[in-house]
Amino acid sequence: MPEAPGAPPAPSDAELILAVVERDDRRAYAALVERHQGQVRSVLRRLTKGDAALADDLAQETFVLAWKSLRRFRFESRFSTWLYRIAFNAWQSEARRKRELPLDEAPGDDSAVLACEMPDIVARVDLERALGTLSDAERAAIAACYYADLSHEEAAAALGIPLGTVKTHVLRAKAKLRARLAARKEDP
Amino acid sequence: MNHDDKLDRILRHDAATTRPGDEAFTRRVMGGLPPERRGARAWTTPALVMGSAALGSALAMALAPVPGGIVQAALDIAHLHMLTPAALTAIGIAAALLASAVVLAADPD
Repeated sequence: MPEAPGAPPAPSDAELILAVVERDDRRAYAALVERHQGQVRSVLRRLTKGDAALADDLAQETFVLAWKSLRRFRFESRFSTWLYRIAFNAWQSEARRKRELPLDEAPGDDSAVLACEMPDIVARVDLERALGTLSDAERAAIAACYYADLSHEEAAAALGIPLGTVKTHVLRAKAKLRARLAARKEDP
Repeated sequence: MNHDDKLDRILRHDAATTRPGDEAFTRRVMGGLPPERRGARAWTTPALVMGSAALGSALAMALAPVPGGIVQAALDIAHLHMLTPAALTAIGIAAALLASAVVLAADPD
């Protein structure tokens, strides 16, 4: 939301975190959630192949875990990078748990839900489907670098993998996406 | 046009335009947090632990089979006679209390 003219500047993430840690200030934490929820949920929607309900459950789990661990946040990275690390861990745990279930492979058609909100439906659905064909690791790298807007270094820290691996995943993912989107375009 | 540029643009455009609004999500998260600890203060737990340790130490000192008890210990320490049984007992208890304080101060929770 844009700030009203003359209004005091919004507190920084660091100020809000200190208010939470020192005074158990829930309003400060609500401000942090409000500030970061859009991007975290967007990233998780990409990771879960457009499953908005699952993404929101994982986002909630992420923010509750972040609340419980906030005292351990050392300001060595951006708060958002730390938050994405929790989100990626939550998604990986969920993915591991789901892989044990035989019914997991049925592809959901949540892209339609996403697409109905967009003006360029076809392009959006194509991209959604193309992203769905990537491996988990490649999708995570794309989600981190594009949807979470992290640098390769920050993505490596958030995903807990080496920098070179992030770069490799991004390159491979983009090659696959290019091929997939080109093939879609050629199909009538 | 560079294919990478085009794909980058598509991905960044998608990231910018598919970000969901709050839709009561923040309220849902806040409702899922652990309940507030009403009346709890940061100093209550350390105070209780230190108080119990001090009480236990006083009892140990009073009941210890040391001639003269705490008064003798204070006199011995004042005269720099650190190796008497009373002085050693008092120093030991003070060290235990100090260790408790350090452990409590180092524990963020």
